Amino acid sequence: MLTLLKLLRSLIKTLHSDGSPGQIAAGVALGAALGLTPIMNAHNLIVFMLLTVLNVSFAAGMFAWAVFVPVGFLLDPVFDRVGHALLVATPALRPLWTTWDNVPGLALTNFNNTVVLGSVVVWLLLFVPLYVATAYGVVRYRATLGERVRQSRFYKALHASQLYNVYAWFRP
Amino acid sequence: MSTPGSVRSGDAARYTPTSGTVGAGGAPATPPISRKRTRIFRWEGIIPLFVGLAFLVCAWLVFGDRVLRGTIAEAGTKALGTQLDIAGLALHPLSSSIELRGIAVADPFDRTRNLFEVRGLRVQLEAEPLLQKKLVVKSIAITDVTTGTKRATPATAVTGPGFAPAMLTAMQRFAQQFNVPLLSLTPLDTLKSLVLDPTSLKSVQTALAVAHQVDSTKQALETGYAALRLQQTIDSSRAVVARLQGTNVRTLGIDGARRAIADVRAASARVDSARRRVDALLTTARTGVDALQAGVGAIDAARRDDYAFARGLLKLPSFEGPDLGSAIFGHVTIEKFQQAVYWTELARQYAPPGLLPRESPGPKRLRRAGTTIHFAAARAYPRFWLQRADVNVAVTSGALAGTYAIAARDVTTDPAIVQRPTLFAMRRVATGTSVDSLRVLGSLDHTTPRIRETITANAAGVALPTIAIPGLPYRMDGGRGTSELRLALDGEQISGRWSLRSAHVTWKADSVKRALNTMESLVARVLTGVNQLDFTADITGTLANPRLAVHSNLDRQLSDRLRAVAGEEVAKAEARVRAQVDKIVDEKSAPVKVRVAELRADAEKRVADARTRLDEEKRKLDDRLKALTSGAITLPKLPGA
Repeated sequence: MLTLLKLLRSLIKTLHSDGSPGQIAAGVALGAALGLTPIMNAHNLIVFMLLTVLNVSFAAGMFAWAVFVPVGFLLDPVFDRVGHALLVATPALRPLWTTWDNVPGLALTNFNNTVVLGSVVVWLLLFVPLYVATAYGVVRYRATLGERVRQSRFYKALHASQLYNVYAWFRP
Repeated sequence: MSTPGSVRSGDAARYTPTSGTVGAGGAPATPPISRKRTRIFRWEGIIPLFVGLAFLVCAWLVFGDRVLRGTIAEAGTKALGTQLDIAGLALHPLSSSIELRGIAVADPFDRTRNLFEVRGLRVQLEAEPLLQKKLVVKSIAITDVTTGTKRATPATAVTGPGFAPAMLTAMQRFAQQFNVPLLSLTPLDTLKSLVLDPTSLKSVQTALAVAHQVDSTKQALETGYAALRLQQTIDSSRAVVARLQGTNVRTLGIDGARRAIADVRAASARVDSARRRVDALLTTARTGVDALQAGVGAIDAARRDDYAFARGLLKLPSFEGPDLGSAIFGHVTIEKFQQAVYWTELARQYAPPGLLPRESPGPKRLRRAGTTIHFAAARAYPRFWLQRADVNVAVTSGALAGTYAIAARDVTTDPAIVQRPTLFAMRRVATGTSVDSLRVLGSLDHTTPRIRETITANAAGVALPTIAIPGLPYRMDGGRGTSELRLALDGEQISGRWSLRSAHVTWKADSVKRALNTMESLVARVLTGVNQLDFTADITGTLANPRLAVHSNLDRQLSDRLRAVAGEEVAKAEARVRAQVDKIVDEKSAPVKVRVAELRADAEKRVADARTRLDEEKRKLDDRLKALTSGAITLPKLPGA
């Protein structure tokens, strides 16, 4: 319950932050990688670094991470199949994987694992649709529900809470 | 400090919801937003990133060894099929080396013991292959090894879908393929007549099956005979002959004669067709009856099994040397070969030939593990490669205490890349209390599709194993002697020999004593009078169908003595058993044999009759045709008619 509340609060704060829809959408699209793909992998370190150094919504990224973790678990069988199709069932790609698996550094990406490769490929395919859908959603939210939520008691309480202060401390 | 998605201090926030206050003319009251280009990078983010990385490094320094130790122990357990424990681990990233302490590998065949324990192991790795997740071992150092130690807690059985547990199960099946005879020592005074259940005899079962086959074959022949449409063919032919009786070209005219000739030829073709059907039926009948005859032969073959079965029910002791040898040493021999084959098969699994991608289960995690595919390239490092190891290992306790020189070369998971067979050797370099000399040599050649492994182990002055004599409350202590094990696997072919020699055999009675019957007393007396052991076990055949032959001086002496004392009694009992089996089998099989013979005679007779009748009709048609054409035209003859 507490996690859900935190997620909700994180969502509202992100939507009402000063970030542009594009920044929030980019944050969500990047953060989705952390949830969709197995976390302890090299590509997620890069994604995390990008979330930190690119001018995108970090909070949106964290929110997307939390949201996409259960989605990742649910889609694991799909990732496994996609990865298997790419690694095993497509002989034309075998030279690529053979090179990849034997190049220093690249071998550490674990892209020779069906779930890791499948989830990364699916995430990359979803990146643009996620970005566009999130940007559109944020614009629509701000144009329709945004002010009503801002005027609600819940938002005010949230705004006044100490946690918000901590959050605001990190705010630009 | 800034958080992502925010604007810089001092800039106006771009998202400012409408507050209802608008300027004149509907224009917003807020000042116009300056169109300043949004920057892409947030360089301030590097600071928390570095803090985060520093935190990760600290966490690795504190918990890394523990995590790595757990991972290695888990992976090793899965790979070996037996529990691997590691007490401590120290990682030295700067020197790319790893130090393991307190390694214990449980015996996969006895979970209460450790195969060996190593106090310390230091492995020096090549740095570059580590970036490809490959282990190329430059050097290795081992300190203090103990073998065969008792475990404080029994090892956990390794189960699951991994290769090693499957291999262990396969090896248990391998052991079960051998038919080790029991050392049956039923007292002679209890050899009584046997009441046999006829249905339990193989030959009776075979006879019943053949009887059923006779019915089916007979039914099939009846159907085939009916399908010949013999009578219709003959009737049709007779009608043609009768119609043309007393006619000639003059009475029929040219057209009539031509039609008559055509009719005769058509009738003749029908007769020929029927003749061919008869010949085909004869072939079918002979095949069927031959199969039945083979079934009758199988009854006699099954009778030999029934003799053995009935003999087994009487628990008559076998006096054949190989049977006695297998009964005494069979299990201990199979265990020895089973262990050697297990490790060899494990090597085959982890070092297969060729460069094809190899699949293995992915790493254990909360998420689905998936499958990890390893892609090998001819010009790359193998996934694991111990180039050369020359170590002196001091086994500090246990039966094999002493110092050993161990050498290994090209131990790898990718022999197709290394292109050299794995070689290993072990030699005892210091005499100890329990082994004078020990030498092990082996090679695993997986560089070509035809994989070959050879292992030879020679031990002299070694404490031979104590073997419990099955069925008797005695144990044979082989004393100190020589032991030699040779095993060669060439593809699926297996060939091996294990031999033991000792001149210091002693016999120990079990602590739990029981009264021995006459046969047991005799065997015990013979065995305990022997103080030398010359034992050889040979394994041949294939992994799927191995054969074991055991010979020893014990079984030879035992066989001679048993024959001398109890041979006559046992021969009489055997004769009674055979007579009883013969009586039952003859009762059941004789009618079947008669029916098969009858069926053969009946089929031959009916076919011969059919042939005769058809040939007769053919002859009549031919005569009519000759008469019609004054001998100018005759009918063609069928081959064999």
